[in-house]
Amino acid sequence: MAKTYDYLFKLLLIGDSGVGKTSILFRFSEDAFNISFISTIGIDFKIRTIDLDGKKVKLQIWDTAGQERFRTITTAYYRGSMGIMLVYDVTNEKSFENIKNWIRNIEENASADVEKMILGNKCDLEAKRQVSKERGEQLAIEYQIKFIETSAKDSLNVESAFYTLARDIKAKMEKKQEASNPAGARSGAHQIRANEQQRKPTSWLSRCSLL
Amino acid sequence: MAAQNKGEAQEMPAATSAAADPGAENKERLIAAVKKEVKQLMEEAVTRKFVHEESGGVTALCGAVEACLGQGLRRRALGLFKTSSTTALLHKIAKHCPEAALVSARVLAAEGAPATRSASGVERRPSVPRPPLCKRGSGSLLSGSPPTSRYLWIRIALFERQLSKIIEHLVNNANRYYERDALVADPDYGSILSSLLVGPCALEYSKAKPPACFWTDPPADELVQRHRMSAGTTTPPSVRRPILNFKRSLNASSDDGSSNNPGTSKAAGSSAKDYVESLHQNSTATLLYGKNNVRVQPKDIEEPMPGYLSLHQTAAGLVIKWTPNQLMNGYAESEGIDKSALRCHLVHASACQHEYVLCSLAPTCTVYRRRCAGPLCIDCVYWAMSLQVCVWEVVYVHVHRSQASDALILVGQDGVQRPPIHFPKGGHLLSFLSNLETGLLPHGQLDPPLWSQRGTGKVFGRGKVRRRPLPSLCESGETEEPEWEETAGDYVFRIVNNAIADREAMRHSLLERAVQSPPRTPRRPLASTSTTSSDSSTMSVDCPPPSAGINGIPPPPLTPIPHQPVEQAASIELVCSTMRRQIISRAFYGWLAYCRHLSTVRTHLSGLVHPNIIPRENADGGLTDERWLAMTDEKGAIHDKDEVYRLVYYGGVQHDIRRHVWPYLLGYYEFGSTAEERAEQDTACRRQYETTMSEWLCVEAIVRQRDREATAASIARLSEASGKLKPTDNNDTSEVFEDDCSVISDNPPIVSPEPSETEQKRPGPDKPLLSRAPSIDEVDNIELDSERDKETKQNGETDNGDSRELDVDSLKDLEDEDVHLKSVVENPDMRRESIAEIKRLAEEIVPKGDVRGLLCSVDSAQLNGSEFRSSIDESQPSPHQQHTSVIITNPSVDLAAGGSPVSGGTTAQVSPARSPLGVVREESQSAGASFDTLEPADRNATDNRSNCVSPASSNGGVYSNELVESFALNLHRIEKDVQRCDRNYPFFTDENLDKLRNIMCTYVWEHLDTGYMQGMCDLAAPLLVMMREEASAHALFNSLMRRATDNFPSGQAMDAHFADMRSLIQILDCELYELMHAHGDYTHFYFCYRWFLLDFKRELLYQDVFAAWELIWAARHVASEHMVLFIALALLETYRDVILANTMDFTDIIKFFNEMAERHDASAVLSLARDLVLQVQTLIENK
Repeated sequence: MAKTYDYLFKLLLIGDSGVGKTSILFRFSEDAFNISFISTIGIDFKIRTIDLDGKKVKLQIWDTAGQERFRTITTAYYRGSMGIMLVYDVTNEKSFENIKNWIRNIEENASADVEKMILGNKCDLEAKRQVSKERGEQLAIEYQIKFIETSAKDSLNVESAFYTLARDIKAKMEKKQEASNPAGARSGAHQIRANEQQRKPTSWLSRCSLL
Repeated sequence: MAAQNKGEAQEMPAATSAAADPGAENKERLIAAVKKEVKQLMEEAVTRKFVHEESGGVTALCGAVEACLGQGLRRRALGLFKTSSTTALLHKIAKHCPEAALVSARVLAAEGAPATRSASGVERRPSVPRPPLCKRGSGSLLSGSPPTSRYLWIRIALFERQLSKIIEHLVNNANRYYERDALVADPDYGSILSSLLVGPCALEYSKAKPPACFWTDPPADELVQRHRMSAGTTTPPSVRRPILNFKRSLNASSDDGSSNNPGTSKAAGSSAKDYVESLHQNSTATLLYGKNNVRVQPKDIEEPMPGYLSLHQTAAGLVIKWTPNQLMNGYAESEGIDKSALRCHLVHASACQHEYVLCSLAPTCTVYRRRCAGPLCIDCVYWAMSLQVCVWEVVYVHVHRSQASDALILVGQDGVQRPPIHFPKGGHLLSFLSNLETGLLPHGQLDPPLWSQRGTGKVFGRGKVRRRPLPSLCESGETEEPEWEETAGDYVFRIVNNAIADREAMRHSLLERAVQSPPRTPRRPLASTSTTSSDSSTMSVDCPPPSAGINGIPPPPLTPIPHQPVEQAASIELVCSTMRRQIISRAFYGWLAYCRHLSTVRTHLSGLVHPNIIPRENADGGLTDERWLAMTDEKGAIHDKDEVYRLVYYGGVQHDIRRHVWPYLLGYYEFGSTAEERAEQDTACRRQYETTMSEWLCVEAIVRQRDREATAASIARLSEASGKLKPTDNNDTSEVFEDDCSVISDNPPIVSPEPSETEQKRPGPDKPLLSRAPSIDEVDNIELDSERDKETKQNGETDNGDSRELDVDSLKDLEDEDVHLKSVVENPDMRRESIAEIKRLAEEIVPKGDVRGLLCSVDSAQLNGSEFRSSIDESQPSPHQQHTSVIITNPSVDLAAGGSPVSGGTTAQVSPARSPLGVVREESQSAGASFDTLEPADRNATDNRSNCVSPASSNGGVYSNELVESFALNLHRIEKDVQRCDRNYPFFTDENLDKLRNIMCTYVWEHLDTGYMQGMCDLAAPLLVMMREEASAHALFNSLMRRATDNFPSGQAMDAHFADMRSLIQILDCELYELMHAHGDYTHFYFCYRWFLLDFKRELLYQDVFAAWELIWAARHVASEHMVLFIALALLETYRDVILANTMDFTDIIKFFNEMAERHDASAVLSLARDLVLQVQTLIENK
């Protein structure tokens, strides 16, 4: 498999069961929607490579099982991920309230500087809405996390949500790179690393997140 | 063998990633990269019918070519400014090569046009035909450029189909542009490179943007397809690799695939081929250690060259050999091309005292080379470089460890140093030394010894051999390889030789020793071998300790060993006895190792399979209708259960009779039970099911009510926030609902579609009533009630009705009934309605079942309150208790609601006003689940019904709040999952989904402590599909869950499965195991998680799921309790070649299998699984 990308970001989707994590992922990776998604068991992921400011960024997005019973498995994936999407369902109050628990979960298991984002999904179902956009925004402000309402069904904001998260990760990474690797040497070093990365993407990735 | 050699040489460097290594290794790596990319690209072209210009494959190939061309490029040749740029090279050769001129012109054109656009920061679309150029040489400028512009000229040359010609030109004129050791200048690699690129140059490249597929990794089916293309005829590993070969590469760390392949060709005469073969295991020498890409700097050469280092135990003693890679590979290639052309005369290493083996250079040396450049045959030069050292010649071994590499210098008796041998990092030196030490025994030893003691490490867990090196060697006590790597320093070992003394002694007592045992080998008892081989489990299988090492008998005079004073007088007897000893000892050690291996296998795996193998004969057809009928006796009983299991295991069940067979397989029906007994069992089971169901349906009604309120609450809050409604009303209602909400917030509410309407209709005064939390007295009552109720239920279920303590309960009864009566009297309407509701519910719950008892009691209760009460009293000791318990619960709901007369009254008033009918209707539609179908066809009762539901108001009823809440939580989860369970399968209409929901709820109601877990739905669905009927599907699900519960996160089975999988892979497919071991993440085996949790339900299509499940169930009684493991292993083995070919890491493999779901060839997988079971069984049984 030819590994021709500049960055590889691992993202994670979490949230209560049935809030539409798989649908969001499916919308983003295949640009399609399927009403009859089966519940996710264990873990799955999809890949999409996006062009971000001239760089090819490969997003490896992990989809997890929502039920908290399966947290033992999903938390294993918190550590390696560089960005986490917290998803709730605007027609389900409880799933919104649980966002706080999920955030606590992230704080316990993920690396401290992981990029986060809150998605209020199913915003097309205005008639059934239980959680107002304002409440979502309020929560986001409280936790200093970006927030956006999405609809996987109507393909609303899904793209932009992932692009935003990826851009944030990239910015953070480049900032760190700059800090640790100042001035002129940077670009040259990056070339070498990019070459190396073609053969061993995982080690490259870990190095990047360490930097 | 030649091909193997070559492949190994090319793959190893990539694995060791010695990127900065100059020389041949580097060239091999470069050319291997090109080969790989060409292969990928060609495959892509075939599978996708076209290759896009921006495809990752093209970029990767261009990168690989660029790397090849850039290596060894002569800087001077390009002039002052264009240092080391291949683009500059292109322009340079354009004068001489017309193809290059063409490409050069195009490059210049492409370079000129869009360069400004790039500078202005406009984001280029990938479909722009000629991306702007960034000069290769200017690395710092390049970093900002998008990847599409990389390798521009190579790209263009490729698309113009000129690349191979240009490179051919470069190769032909290599001396003009390249250094002597450059890849392009190399006569072999250069031509290989140009010929490799002919293929890609012939492809069509498309610029049209395909639907985004070129940016993604190839999907799973494409990988499988590619694999079929490139390796259609591979045999499964079980055939190709004998089991005992596992981990044979432990000591020969290069995984030298051919070393177990002793002398395939017995061609007479000494030749290069013979020489290379002599490096492998053969009849005269035992290979103790082999490692490729060990670098040695021979005389007259400036920098170390990589080569193959091997340690041989020959009759004469230990010999260290080092052969340059060029020799090994040159041999391999020329062998492949033209065997007859190879006539290089080689004087084989005959003298141990000569450290260099010089080949006699015949004037007629015509080694096959296409371009034999030098005045001297290259091979001959390399022959001169190869190294052969007899260990007995060496006195000191110096070890120099530094950050860069580990060097080993051998100092001879004459004080002359041999060229230093540089080992790659990674513990190779250490393993070489330990093999050397082992090989020295018994005649010699290292002083100081390498290891102070030899522990017995686990056989499993390669690379974690726990031994304690001397502090002199490594300070830390317990050394893992990384630690050893960290420490730099110099060590000196002396090689102590006792062989001569031994030999003297031997000569005197030759004959005695030939007969007597044990031989005089105090330092090498058998135990020492056993520790060695338990450290490195298979070394002794393939490399039995040398005979000379065992008893010190001098070698048979097969090879002349001038150094040792071979006695011409040595009798033929001596030779014979030596040979006998050799044979016996080898056989013994081989046997010993085999036994050890088997004992490991037994301890780890014997639990997984049954010891006795049940034969397969004529079970191929499986369990057919005829056979099943034939087995049934006149009473409808099946007795021969072993035969049933055997038939099912080997052949499955005919689809038509699955419904009858499955209950047996799952242990629901007893074998030997008559048809009558079974019918009875069914009836009892159904009754039980209905009872349980009616219990939870009542709770469900409460949950629904709460949901509705909660929904209204959150909507109210929402509308309050948005300020759409009249402020006064809103304030009131929202307050009301805040209170309620706090109680019931655990239930995800369901939205009512007309929030404003309901709220506006709501009269003001009901606020205090609705929001009122239950008073303390009431709560007590409720709890008591519910406890009592549960008890009743329990009693009812276990038919122990009499055991109740009457004195206490009857007292409570009295109190309760008083209140109850009051409410009944005060709300006669309500009573009637609620009873109607119960009746209706009951009718729906048990549409076909035995409802007489239930309906009777409801009917009698309907007449009036007092009669109803009496029916309760009567029913308690009666055999119909289980039915009446339903009635107890619902009235008590009323009772609780109407516990205070005022409250009861108002509730009744309020309900119609809220138009609950509409709410319910809408809700059931929006929930999409079963509620619609639960309702009776005739709707005339609905008015009553909706009024009835409301009495079961939000404050908990007789069920404790926790109970209701936990059930509510489960209920919502179940509904969420049932709704989306297998909707693609036509069976799951709304009606059947409803059944599935009922099964789930009933199971969860019975196991409320475990609750619902995602995945249960999937397990129940095929059972329902098969049985069609709720009660029996539920019964089977119950038996299925008895085993499956442990797989869920609350149980322990999953981890055990993962561990067993690891052991099995290790035993049955070492190659795959090595790959997995290389990626640490594999240890978690999470890609198998879903397989084990759902018994492959999501991996296979329904028909195949049936077959797989039957196999799993029957296997418990036939072959293995853990059939899932073997099916998993079979799945893995089916795609092992794809996995290996793509060196998939953990994420790749998860993605691969998730994409391959429902595309497997199930019958092949299942039969492979049976084969694997048999394989393990034979392995264990074989004593």
